[in-house]
Amino acid sequence: MDLLRVEHICKTYGSGEAAVHALKDVSFSVPKGEFVAIVGESGSGKSTLLNMIGALDTPTSGRVFINGKNTFAMKEKALTIFRRRNIGFIFQAFNLIPELSVEQNMIFPLLLDHQRPNRRYLEELLSVLGLEQRRNHLPSQLSGGQQQRVAIGRALMTRPSLVLADEPTGNLDSQNSGEVLALLKETARQYEQTVIMITHNPSIAHTADRVFRVSDGVLTDLGGCRT
Amino acid sequence: MKSYLSLIPISARRRRRQNRMTLLCIIFAVFLVTAIFSVADMGVRMEQARLTEKHAQDFSFGAIMDTSMGQTLFLSGVGLFVLILLAGVLMISGSINSTVAQRTKFFGMMRCIGMSRQQLKRFVRLEALNWCKTAIPIGVVLGTVCTWVLCAILRFVVKEEFTAIPLFGISPIGIISGVVMGLVTVLLAARAPAKQAAKVSPMAAVSGNTENTSRVRRPVRVGVLPIEISLGTHHAMSARKNLILMTGSFALSIILFLTFSVLLDFVGYLLPQSVAAADITITDEAGVTGINCISPETVETIRGMDGVKNIFGRRSIFDVPAELGQEGLPRVVDLFSFDDFDLTALKKDGRLRKGSDLSKVYGDNGSVLVICDPDAPLRKGDTIRVDGQALSIAGLLKHDLFSEDGLSHGRVSIIASSETFVRLTGVTDYSTVMVQTAGDVTDGDVAAISGVLDEGTALRDEREGRTSGTYTAFVLCVYGFLAIIAMVTLLNIMNSISMSVSAKSRQYGAMRAVGMEGGQVTKMIAAEAVTYALAGCVIGCVVGLVLGRMLYSLLIDGRFPYAVWTIPVSRLLIVVVFVAAATLAAIHAPAKRMREMAVTETINEL
Repeated sequence: MDLLRVEHICKTYGSGEAAVHALKDVSFSVPKGEFVAIVGESGSGKSTLLNMIGALDTPTSGRVFINGKNTFAMKEKALTIFRRRNIGFIFQAFNLIPELSVEQNMIFPLLLDHQRPNRRYLEELLSVLGLEQRRNHLPSQLSGGQQQRVAIGRALMTRPSLVLADEPTGNLDSQNSGEVLALLKETARQYEQTVIMITHNPSIAHTADRVFRVSDGVLTDLGGCRT
Repeated sequence: MKSYLSLIPISARRRRRQNRMTLLCIIFAVFLVTAIFSVADMGVRMEQARLTEKHAQDFSFGAIMDTSMGQTLFLSGVGLFVLILLAGVLMISGSINSTVAQRTKFFGMMRCIGMSRQQLKRFVRLEALNWCKTAIPIGVVLGTVCTWVLCAILRFVVKEEFTAIPLFGISPIGIISGVVMGLVTVLLAARAPAKQAAKVSPMAAVSGNTENTSRVRRPVRVGVLPIEISLGTHHAMSARKNLILMTGSFALSIILFLTFSVLLDFVGYLLPQSVAAADITITDEAGVTGINCISPETVETIRGMDGVKNIFGRRSIFDVPAELGQEGLPRVVDLFSFDDFDLTALKKDGRLRKGSDLSKVYGDNGSVLVICDPDAPLRKGDTIRVDGQALSIAGLLKHDLFSEDGLSHGRVSIIASSETFVRLTGVTDYSTVMVQTAGDVTDGDVAAISGVLDEGTALRDEREGRTSGTYTAFVLCVYGFLAIIAMVTLLNIMNSISMSVSAKSRQYGAMRAVGMEGGQVTKMIAAEAVTYALAGCVIGCVVGLVLGRMLYSLLIDGRFPYAVWTIPVSRLLIVVVFVAAATLAAIHAPAKRMREMAVTETINEL
């Protein structure tokens, strides 16, 4: 069964002559465990698409199913809870909470759910991400690469079935980019998660299971780059 | 666009919502000053007219200012102007500071594309002055309208000496003061933020490193409380300067409220107001109150006359032998009778000690009220025997109504109902009769009353000596001032919470993206506001009570020995209700804004 199914998504900003069609009838599906890269020019609609999949934004028309559930049919509160339990987000700008330590940032979505974190899983993640020695540090005391690793840790902490990453390496140098990407792929493989990642970097896109190109709001499936 | 300054109105239109609070602050400051100075001006004009009429010569503004009242008015005006100026500068400066802090990237970009530091300073200052364009006229109009309403209240409600106050006067002094206040506060308030904006490095735009996170030194303690509450409290506690300002804001208004209330108590003792205050008092010719010489028939005749709203009398017999308490201690007492209206007034005026039961005193029930020293061995429920008849004490009075200083000095006075008094003594004539006149009473009506009096009695016309007008005007002024303090505090707190939330909107966006519910956002903002409110409330109540007690000792204790200070529970309750309401009002708008914000707009902003 497909983990993610996107059906005829359209997104239009403005109306009349000023209308901008950010997404035009986008449909695709992604099976469980697949690593998908989305490429495209700036302003082509990639981030809009990712925000629709993550239910951060609502489409003008169309539906998105995650684990068979129509996300836009849910009420605001139910959708928020569904999002924090099933979707992990990684942003280009990290978006960590400056007052929380590395460990607290990672368990933040669980705390919002009034759940106790699984200590073993947390230790494992900290170890995989190489943040064991930094667990009590604040984001401001970390490098960009380290901050992005914390963001990955936060995205994976709830063991979501879907991880959405919007240019996670956009703010990092090439060495840090490589490390973060390798980590993301390794953890996704280890925990059987579906990853959808926006990237501008062709070499990163080449390592994905499948690549989508978005151009002027139209999505084209470029198929798999790896065999 | 003619110059780079043409950007100011464009930017103002674009940032209308963010600037709303600053505009409100300016309007408020201008409004207050215009209203206060206009009312003062109207007062001076009224006084001028009164003096001119009385002395048949012109009294100029300068002549009025030479009088002690004029100088007091002038000094109070200057004091209030400075107070409002300070509050205004603090509030507006806070607002402009926040809007500047939120636009570091914008200023960085301006520097990048060639704006000099000087130009940036000018930009911020002119931007602030641009708000005056709308805020000052609104403030002046509101202030003038408020003046008309206040004058109408003084003229038609308070009446007394204010019946000649002008109704729809326009005060140039009030308007000029308002305009000057608006301009000066804005220029003073914009100084620091303008400097701060000029310091922004062009790198702020290039690197996108605009957020100042270096202030956070320690992580939040996540423990017993839900994470959103811990974060909210941490937001309040971590910004030390903001915490002091916000807590101080709450505390200051509470302290002012609790200390100013003591002034009300003071005036209450100085100009005691009674439901039974008389406009005309009838006694025997010599003005001695101890001779029962006014017949009940005369009282009934006066009751039916024009201009009489209410009439009631007292009888008195001094040095009556009596036996006090179970032991039957022999003692002389003074015996008084009060009509039902007079008895009810004792309760309404709050003159009865706690636990007194007035209902038992009415009619011929054998129960009486007693006035004695606090250390006298008489309590509620004790028995007094007068002329062999037992009287039960239904209650005691807080102070002696019949002595100058309110103390009994060892004397015991008994207040009985008319029926009980007549049964005990057989005396039906009154020693004092008091008349409350209707609003439309004429001197002719009073003369007519005088005409029906018994031989050997006379009336004293005390209509001119009533202090209710002065008392009401003073109470209105104090409450008005307290209302202003409350409004300033409320606005300041609403503004500060709103700014604090706006500054963290990106952070809140990220929290919403990773699964924070709308309700949790509200709780987080509420936790921050409640932290300020609780701290302010505790500090304000403690300091306010101590200062209030000191002021009470200074003003009241020495002059009114019977006065007893008690913890003002009702005022503390008002404080709690006000603080709770202010906190709710401060939380509502920013929480709604954060719940409804588009997450996608904030998360990828640099």
